[in-house]
Amino acid sequence: MTIFLQSLISGILVGGVYALIGIGLTLIFGVMRIINFAHGDIMMIGMYLTYMLFSMAGIDPFVSVLISFPLMYLLGVFLQKVLINRVLDALPQNQILLTIGMGLIMSNTMMLAFTSDYKILSTTYSSSSISIGGISISQPLTISFLITAVITAGLYWFLVKTNTGQAVRATAQDREAAQLMGINVKRMSGIAFGLGAGLAGTAGALISPTYYIFPQVGSVFTLKAFVITVLGGMGSVVGAAIGGVIVGVSESMGAVYISSGWKDVVVYVIFLLVLLFKPSGLLGKSRM
Amino acid sequence: MATTTTTSSSKAALVKLAIALLIVGSLFAVPRYVSSPYALHIMILIFLSTIMGESWNILGGYTGQYSVGHAAYFGVGAYTTVMLMQFRQVPPWIGVWAGIAAVLVVALIIGSICFRLRGPYFVLASIAVAEIMRLSATNLNSITKGAEGILATEIPVFKIGEHVVTDFLTKVPFYYIGLSLALITIAVTWGVQHSKLGYYFQAIREDQDAAHSLGINIPLYKNIGLAISATLTALAGSFYAIYVGFVDPTTVLSLDLSVQIVLVCIIGGIGTIYGPVVGAIALVPLSEALRSNVIAEGIFKTGFVDPASATGTFLKENLAHAHVLIYGILVVIVILFMPEGVLGFIRKLGSRMKKGKA
Repeated sequence: MTIFLQSLISGILVGGVYALIGIGLTLIFGVMRIINFAHGDIMMIGMYLTYMLFSMAGIDPFVSVLISFPLMYLLGVFLQKVLINRVLDALPQNQILLTIGMGLIMSNTMMLAFTSDYKILSTTYSSSSISIGGISISQPLTISFLITAVITAGLYWFLVKTNTGQAVRATAQDREAAQLMGINVKRMSGIAFGLGAGLAGTAGALISPTYYIFPQVGSVFTLKAFVITVLGGMGSVVGAAIGGVIVGVSESMGAVYISSGWKDVVVYVIFLLVLLFKPSGLLGKSRM
Repeated sequence: MATTTTTSSSKAALVKLAIALLIVGSLFAVPRYVSSPYALHIMILIFLSTIMGESWNILGGYTGQYSVGHAAYFGVGAYTTVMLMQFRQVPPWIGVWAGIAAVLVVALIIGSICFRLRGPYFVLASIAVAEIMRLSATNLNSITKGAEGILATEIPVFKIGEHVVTDFLTKVPFYYIGLSLALITIAVTWGVQHSKLGYYFQAIREDQDAAHSLGINIPLYKNIGLAISATLTALAGSFYAIYVGFVDPTTVLSLDLSVQIVLVCIIGGIGTIYGPVVGAIALVPLSEALRSNVIAEGIFKTGFVDPASATGTFLKENLAHAHVLIYGILVVIVILFMPEGVLGFIRKLGSRMKKGKA
């Protein structure tokens, strides 16, 4: 029972960070109908940013979120304006290939800049944990989960309560109708990609104290982000949050009860099953 | 009037045929005059890329099903052939048939799962399946030797009766096998494009619902497209494995490989017979030049960068690893500025120039 609770809790904590990655991807998909294959690579850039801030300026990874989020937001807006904007009306496969190309450029540029060595960001609390009733809870994961919760709540507030947020949601619901209502759709696309990149970068910052940092780390997380968004329903923010936790839990359960080598297989099998039997995801509307 | 047009078009076809025969003939003559193993190596890699690109083209280009998981078929073909040769002493020219059979089984399973999905969902499902294959090959240590990979050391001598045809010690036999396979895949693509099957495929690509309402059995023809594509990809995989003499999950089953297979086709020109050939000719020498540091040395020769300086050593050490960066930049350029690929771009330029003259 302790083992079960232990893996459940660590799965939920990791799932929080996954949720951030998934929410970013789902926002981008919702507003632009583009599947961003460079999402994990954007996250990887966030990880390196955090690593540099930590090793050069000594800024704590959790504090560095305050710097990396706006920087990654700007990177996202830039990418949207320069590249993504040009393929909004192109064939879906060309959109996918463009983002794959962007991802290759990002990961290989980072490889040129930092070599492909694994970097470890070790803080004083990297391996410390809190023990409650025989269950040990990783301290950095707990902090990152709390930050994730705050950010998700803030994002939800932004999307539901503010004018800009409502405009973003309107664009996601019906691009043309939103445009007719006088919403600057192009600006909303920029905001959505910026937020997506910002959230991915934040996730990178939050996960960096507990994960290896290397240029190819992105593709793993891109795949995870897809699984999360499809699980929750493409375009649904709440769905992505739930999907993130589901993926986190099934990974940690798979690692404990099957083996750590097979844990990703468990995730992909769940992914395929959802695609087959409930392709609209757990909270999405049907669009098949 | 009608007769003159037919004669002129048949004349044009004859000229085309003559050019094609000339190219093929000279390609077959290359090993007689070129002895440099490195040049042959590059040619073999071009053939290999052509086979991979053409076979992806049948499913992706003609049928419109963008699989980003073709490494699954490449890897299964490669693994089956090498494992049979290494562990069961089955010669590769027999083992390759087992590889194709295994790939067909895998393809049918994948097809029955993934073809229910459309567009981006199909892309994601194909990636997930290929990743499951990669992780399985990594984890099934007892069968596949896991991440360590399998070294192919026991390529038997190929004999017909008592006559030794080749012992596979030089690159020449691989050159001829690669060339023949590339020609076969091009011929298959040509056959598909000019047959009823090809029209069904293209109907599915253009509008699946319309094709369905015209009575085309969508799942059947998608699976036929996948079967042809997967078989040819398995051939490429087996050939690669025997040529390189080594398989491991990260080289023959990775997502990067799947992406590269797609790129060959996209960069050349999707849904065209010669697109993948153009893509292979463009990509292989470029990435090999980067890999073997030809470009770094070229930069040193221009005198802009001193090889002994910090930037120089940096370039020497890292440019070799950056060949994928060039892939990325090429894809972005191709998608933004020539969405029909290099071949489509050239054709467009050509028709524009003709218009200008008229």
